[in-house]
Amino acid sequence: MASTALPITSGLPRGLRGVFPFLLAIPVLAALQLAVSERYFLVYIASIIGVNIILAVSLNIVNGMTGQFSIGHAGFMAVGAYLSGKFSLETKQLAISLLPVAVSDQLMFIVALLIGGSCAAICGFIVGLPSLRLKGDYLAIVTLGFGEIIRVIVQNTQAFGRALGLSGIPQRSSFFMVYFWVFVTIVIARRIAASTHGRSLWAIREDEVAAEAMGVNTTGYKVRAFVVSSFFAGVAGGLFAHFVPIINPGSFTFVKSIEVVVMVVAGGLGSTTGAILAAIVLTLLPEAMRSAFVALSGGQASLAQKVDQIRMPIYGILLVLLMLLRPQGLFGTKEIWDVIPRLWSRRRKGLP
Amino acid sequence: MNEALLKAEDVSIHFGGLKALSHFNLEIRQGDLKGLIGPNGAGKTTGFNVLTGVYAPSSGSVWVGDERVNGWMPHQINHLGLARTFQNIRLFRALSALDNVRVACRAASSHLHQERLLKVRKEAAFGKLDAKLLEASSNYLDWWRAFFCSPTFQRDEEQIRHQAEELLEVMGLSHRRNEQARNLPYGEQRRLEIARALGTRPRVLLLDEPAAGMNTREKADLMPLIRRLRDQFALGILVIEHDMKLVMGICEQITVLDHGETIAVGSPENVRSNRKVIEAYLGDSYLEGHAGPSAAGPS
Repeated sequence: MASTALPITSGLPRGLRGVFPFLLAIPVLAALQLAVSERYFLVYIASIIGVNIILAVSLNIVNGMTGQFSIGHAGFMAVGAYLSGKFSLETKQLAISLLPVAVSDQLMFIVALLIGGSCAAICGFIVGLPSLRLKGDYLAIVTLGFGEIIRVIVQNTQAFGRALGLSGIPQRSSFFMVYFWVFVTIVIARRIAASTHGRSLWAIREDEVAAEAMGVNTTGYKVRAFVVSSFFAGVAGGLFAHFVPIINPGSFTFVKSIEVVVMVVAGGLGSTTGAILAAIVLTLLPEAMRSAFVALSGGQASLAQKVDQIRMPIYGILLVLLMLLRPQGLFGTKEIWDVIPRLWSRRRKGLP
Repeated sequence: MNEALLKAEDVSIHFGGLKALSHFNLEIRQGDLKGLIGPNGAGKTTGFNVLTGVYAPSSGSVWVGDERVNGWMPHQINHLGLARTFQNIRLFRALSALDNVRVACRAASSHLHQERLLKVRKEAAFGKLDAKLLEASSNYLDWWRAFFCSPTFQRDEEQIRHQAEELLEVMGLSHRRNEQARNLPYGEQRRLEIARALGTRPRVLLLDEPAAGMNTREKADLMPLIRRLRDQFALGILVIEHDMKLVMGICEQITVLDHGETIAVGSPENVRSNRKVIEAYLGDSYLEGHAGPSAAGPS
């Protein structure tokens, strides 16, 4: 569960530990960006995977670590997508003076993402403050309701294009940007889990009465976890809006929320690694099915077109199987970074 | 100098028509070791729940230090220096023993901050609003520190770890540090719960049946341990217990409850010979052979 610092960073001076992972990740991501920049389909799929990873990892903070059941993640994603998309659309013609256009565009993109994330976080706060006093099913119903409210509002607002959605948002997203945010989300989720705040969240999940008696402000912690989670959902939505040609209310339905919940549950409630892995698998699955069906039907696309319809029953069957065979999810509450050092030290001691 | 750390004044609590506790009075000072006994359903645990803020009293008042804490949340009361254990052990079962204690420990810096908050809360110029804003902003600042893994945050974490390991040491649980709480033997779970309660740096400790489920040997070890904790951590302690040997052995003053009413208060000797207490709780057999090993109350 709550893990200690990685052995790599423990030898560093304190001031450096905070930024070290980023110093390492940014050059790697930049190199990858150069390698994949021309392969558009690959980048597109990778971006969808990235967005889903951000959604799953952030939802895991609420559903996994804190043990609250929220099923309105698509609502927060929609807030982020529409607001950052709208911002980019409105400021399309603007550029920051004295900077090259590409740099200025990327800076504006970051501003748009932060706007989307922050507005989603504010929504998270407003929704969370009254509803996190509720327990279990009630919270699920409130968050579900919130997601639907957002979708209906968007569907009926002229500024957001009603049912047609927003189109023409500048396609500023890139492999680097998506995976930079994936990295930020994972690092922050990990740091929360290993901090005194994360331990308080685990405590709330384990026993709320005892946590409260030990001085944990349970409502406050739940709201803060919810706010962080919705911020990243908003950022994920913002990223999404900048690489798909069009966003419409249909992208942020209840089904999308459930998809994210399935990822978190399948990966193991409370495991960031599990959420990442499940997000990758469950995003690739429909694509793999699509190509498999195309191959099976000898190039005819009729069956392949139905993938989106048969996707949900397959998710259902997978979940049922998973709950029967491994009820704690793929990873349970374990993390890959907890398991690897142990295996490593075991091998050094000459044990199997 | 030695003012009351915890005081219950004429506290009553009703659930509908049921009087779970009526006109309950209690005072705990530093160095006190008091007992609360009575038959099952007498309102002992309800009393604990009122003192720690799980229930708000229907009438009367509870004072922690010089704060009247009626209607406060349990965590706020805990921050004033009141910690408790639970009758049916409530550990964070999936967390390691160390993490259980670490949840309760807060870094010294954050403790100073708690005191500052209490002061602000008291002197708030615009009612509760500015205190609330300050509290919220500093809470979020704490999270930012964790996000950026700031030096302050790392120092706090090291301090918390250090404090938690010290407490495990005191309770003799160091060797169980990385084990999940649910895998510990029963007696050790009880001790871990006390360690966790001590992690919140209390001034008053409420123990709800600390010896329940322990074997004779563990019970015998518990008595000197409770005394040692009181002296080492400068605590006032209130114990609920059914094991008469333990209660009579360590408590200086005992309050006896029956049907929510206080039927006797006094030294162990006085309580033991009190007619009402014998009728309601100890039973005649206790009088006849209270020196014997079977001198336990009804369970």
